[in-house]
Parts: sequence; structure tokens; C-alpha cells
Amino acid sequence: MLLTKKNVLAVKRFMIFAVFLQAFLLMQSKDATANMGESMINPLLKVGLWSRAETVQNITDQNIFQYMNGAGEVYLGYRFDYLDVYKYKGAGLPEILVEIYWMKSSDDAFGLLSMDWGGEPVIFNESLDSQPSPAIAPASRALYGAGLLRIWSENVYVRILVEHETAESKKVVLSLGKAITRNRIVTPQPKLLNLLSSYVNPGWKLRSDRIAYFRSYLVLNTIYFLSFKNILKLNLSTEAVFAPYERTTDQKDNRRVQFLLIKYETAAQAQSALASFCRTYLEENNKKTVSGMMVDTPLFYQIEEGWVGFRLTGRYLSLVLNSQEKSEGLLILNQIQSNIPKMEIDDGN
Amino acid sequence: MGTEEKVITRRDFVRGAVYTTLGTSVIGVPWQDGLSKTNSSLVTIVRNQNAMNSSRYVDIKTVEMMLKQTLLQFTGQRSTKDAWRSLIKSNDIVGLVPTEHLNPTHDEVVEAVTKSLRSAGISKRQIKEVQGWSGDPKNCSALIALPALKAHQQTGIGTVLKNYIMFSGNPERYHKSGSSRLGEIWNLPSVKGKTKLVLVDALYPLCDKGPQPDPRYKWAYHGLIAGSDPVAVETVGVKIIMEKRKALRGEDWPLSPPPVCVEAADRIHGLGTSKMANIRIKKSGWTQDSLV
Repeated sequence: MLLTKKNVLAVKRFMIFAVFLQAFLLMQSKDATANMGESMINPLLKVGLWSRAETVQNITDQNIFQYMNGAGEVYLGYRFDYLDVYKYKGAGLPEILVEIYWMKSSDDAFGLLSMDWGGEPVIFNESLDSQPSPAIAPASRALYGAGLLRIWSENVYVRILVEHETAESKKVVLSLGKAITRNRIVTPQPKLLNLLSSYVNPGWKLRSDRIAYFRSYLVLNTIYFLSFKNILKLNLSTEAVFAPYERTTDQKDNRRVQFLLIKYETAAQAQSALASFCRTYLEENNKKTVSGMMVDTPLFYQIEEGWVGFRLTGRYLSLVLNSQEKSEGLLILNQIQSNIPKMEIDDGN
Repeated sequence: MGTEEKVITRRDFVRGAVYTTLGTSVIGVPWQDGLSKTNSSLVTIVRNQNAMNSSRYVDIKTVEMMLKQTLLQFTGQRSTKDAWRSLIKSNDIVGLVPTEHLNPTHDEVVEAVTKSLRSAGISKRQIKEVQGWSGDPKNCSALIALPALKAHQQTGIGTVLKNYIMFSGNPERYHKSGSSRLGEIWNLPSVKGKTKLVLVDALYPLCDKGPQPDPRYKWAYHGLIAGSDPVAVETVGVKIIMEKRKALRGEDWPLSPPPVCVEAADRIHGLGTSKMANIRIKKSGWTQDSLV
């Protein structure tokens, strides 16, 4: 080609066009990649004798109550994003329901699984599914029982349900679970759990199968009813763990202490929550409580079910809800104190 | 401080002080001693282990037999026709109110009731299903509540009293602390006095995690529970669920949150009795693990 002025201009224009085209294509591929994590869960169209329609039913916070009535409160009590619903059918076979709950974080998906640790642990990938030890809550990421498989996988909580369980349907349910979790990242349990101790000496052991991680007072009420109102000022920015401790020294001693640990966004929020709790739950002691309340000093009060105690450490509020002896409650309450400063440093506070 | 609404907490339940608090604060009606009915209420439980097979498919013939037994036991009549006639007038428009969604009433139970009504001379035109957003009891002169027995994560129990929640037009008002108001729905003009029979589908109840189905907590009870006192029937249902939960865990496992609606329906809304001492339970059929 002759390097005329006209030709040079054309080449320049072509090169500018090529640069823009390349940039455009790069942006498109980034968009695809950004969505790829979500769209990569595409449950099998056909498995065994069952198959599903290609379309998915999408549920958001706007229509979750139409889909599941009051049960929606549980999911909204965690940071729910949306739900994908798939239904598998086969001639003469019971329907298999697959629900994939997309949550804002892995912690929220974990929380949903933690509401109930019952069932047979299922391991889909030996090397991937192991939990970095020591794990405070059970290490299971998938639990199966009576036709229901529940899975925590990154920021996704999955329910796969067949109401009329058979050997064949169980195989299919587990296959679906395995396929859904393939290639997903293994995330750790919420950091807040690291503040707990499996054993508090002398003589107390954590009931790890009853640990629950949550953000909502409605979820707390399904585990341990405190009040119909949100007296601890829980919300989607808070994190809480409910952890019962039991005696280890004597099998006949069935004493239990219910321990509740809450992390608020700020120390001021934690103080406000404690004031609310004292005003409503300890109202007869309220004047004494408010005036006596110092940061990081445990306080105990005797009520109908035993002793209630609390300790406020920065933005962490720890509560013992019913211990038979004040000293036992204090022992449980103090367990986390040395761990909080380290966790705050780790969090950059 | 004096004008602030009193917040109900766990301690109120432990102290037995809930209903005083409820009556004067949450509901706004002064609690009155004596609203609670003191006459005993009859609740029947009919069970048949052939009601479902091992795969939990329901046998309609068995359910029809159980329904017949229920009607005769409850009314004391000698035939189902006479039993229905003692409950329903020949020109009644009968609204059937099953649980539609999430652990629904078995179709076979609804079918058996419909067939039984037809055999008693109630025409097809006179029988309507009135549950859900499109259901309206306004045009019915008689209602038959047909809920399925289940626990509920927001209200403790989600069976009889909650069965009419859609008739309120505002179901959200009756969840969480509002569940204590569920009884008021039964006193709405479109509903009050119309319920002739409460028949609970207890073939395959759910004792935890309701309303979402969770087969780990469902079990084959193979029963129908019936009565005309909705609170008494609910109380018996709660008892069965609590006993099953205790059996599963090997220790007391209370419903959480507590089903405050039951005693509120008794002591505040005057709908019936929630005291087991005032409930006569007539059981028949299969006796294994009856739980009451």
C-alpha cells in the first residue's frame, strides 16, 4: 500500500476504531464474568428419571411472602438477595423441589444452615469440604434427612426437597446437591464464632449442635424466645451467636447455660441495645442497672429462671440468659473477653 | 414511662402474667376474668393406621371412614346425614376452609368432607372453598375449618386460629407480636358464629420449622381431630405437637415463640377454652403413640 496522506489517515482511523472495539469487547467480557458466579449454578436439566423446565422461578423480597407465607421472615432476617426455584418432575414420581437462596454473604448462608444441625452429614468433595480446624460449629456443609438436603456453599443456601423419599429419589437429591456445589469456593465459618470456646473450665462444654448464627430477633425467637419486640436492637448490620453450654462433670447434671453474643456496628449501638434490654427485661432493676452499668464490667440479676448476666465490651454485648449459679454464668461470660481485643485488631478497629 | 406499651417478654410467660399484659397493652382491651368458658368442650381424635401407606399416599376410603366416625362421635347422631343436619341447615352455603399452601390439608380430606356433605343433601352449588386471597366467607352461612396440623416459626402454632388469617385482609398484622390477635378474626362480622365444625387434618403433622415443609419433623399420626370449640381443638393440637417434640429430643422442647394466640383466644377473645382440664377428649381407633 502506498503511504499517501489519505492512506495514513485511514490507518489511523482504523487503529482508533480497533482500540475502541477492543475496549468494548473487554467490558462485555467483564460483565459476563461478573455475572458468571451467579449464573454458574445451573442445575441439571435431567437427572435420573426426573427433568425440569428450562425456566426458573425467581423470588425476591417483594414476592417472598406470596411464595412461602410467614416463612419468608426467616430468610429476610438474614441478608437475603433472591431465590431461584426449580421443580423436577417425572412420570408417576414425586416432585423434587430445588431452592437456591442467594444471600449477600457466606455468613448469611451459614446462618441459615446453623438454625438446625440435624441430619446426616454429606460430603461432596473430601478435599474441599473440610473445615479449617478448630471449627466451633459442626463442620458439615450439607445435611440430609428424610428427603431434605440442606447445603451451605459460599453465599448460597440450598434446599432440595422430595416429600415422598425413596432410595432412587435420595440418589437424585444428592446428585443435584453435588452438581450445584461443584467448583464453588469453600468459605470459613463466621469469624464471630472464633470468640467462643468449646470448653469452659471447669466443667462446661459447648453444645455445638445447638449453635446458631443470626441477625434477627425473629430468628432468635425461634431458638430461644426472649420477647415479641426487638429488645436487643438486632438488625441486618449486627451479628449474633446463640451457644448453649452444658455440664460435663456429671451425666445426671443436666444444667445448661444459654449464652448469647452480639456484635454491633458501633459501641454506641451496643450500649443502646443493652439499655433497651435492661429497660424491658430487667425493668425492676432498671434504675440500678443503668446507673451501675460500666463498660466491661459484668453485672448479674436474679430472675425467675435463674441468673441473667451481661458484659459490654466495646461493640460486643455478651449475655447469659439463665444460669442456676451466678458464678457459673460469670465463668461462661468471661470466656470471650481475652479474644475480643485480638478480633478487633484483626478487623482493623 | 407509664404511657409506654408494656413489652411482653419470656419472663411474663414464666410468671404467668402474659394475659394481663396482653389484655391491657397489646390488644387494648382490659382483661376480664370470666371471659374464659368454663363448660367443657368436646374434642374427638379418630386415628387409623391405614389412612396412609408407607409412602404416605392417602387412602381416601379410610379417610371417609374416619370422617364418618368423627361425625358420629362428635354429634352423637346415628348417621352422617343426621350428624351434618345437626350442624348445618339444608339451605346453608357452606364454606370449606382448608390449608392451601405449605403443608396443605390433604386433598383426600377435603374430598371426603365434600362427598359426605353431598350425601347429606347439601348440593354442589352450596359448597365452596373459601381459603386464600380470593376466598370470602361473607357469602357463606356456615364454615367448616379444615386446617392441617403444624407448628409455625412466627406464631408457635399455625393450625386452627391461623386458618382464617386471610379473612382479615391484612395477614401481616397477625404475625410476630400480633399473633395474640388471631382470635379477633373469628369475631369479624363475616366470620362470627359461622364455624360449625373444626376438622384438623392430623394425618401427617409438622412439629417444627413450619410453615416451610421439613420432612424431618413430620410424622404419620394418621389422625383427624375435631370439635366445635376452635380453641379447644387448637389446644389439643398443641399438646400433640409438644409431646412429639419431647419424644424427638428426649427432653422438653417448648414451641418457640410460645403460641400466645391460644390462651389469648380463650381469655381475651372468648372463643373457647384453652385449659386441658376443661376439654373432654374422645379417642378412637389406632392407639399407638397417641401423645394425648
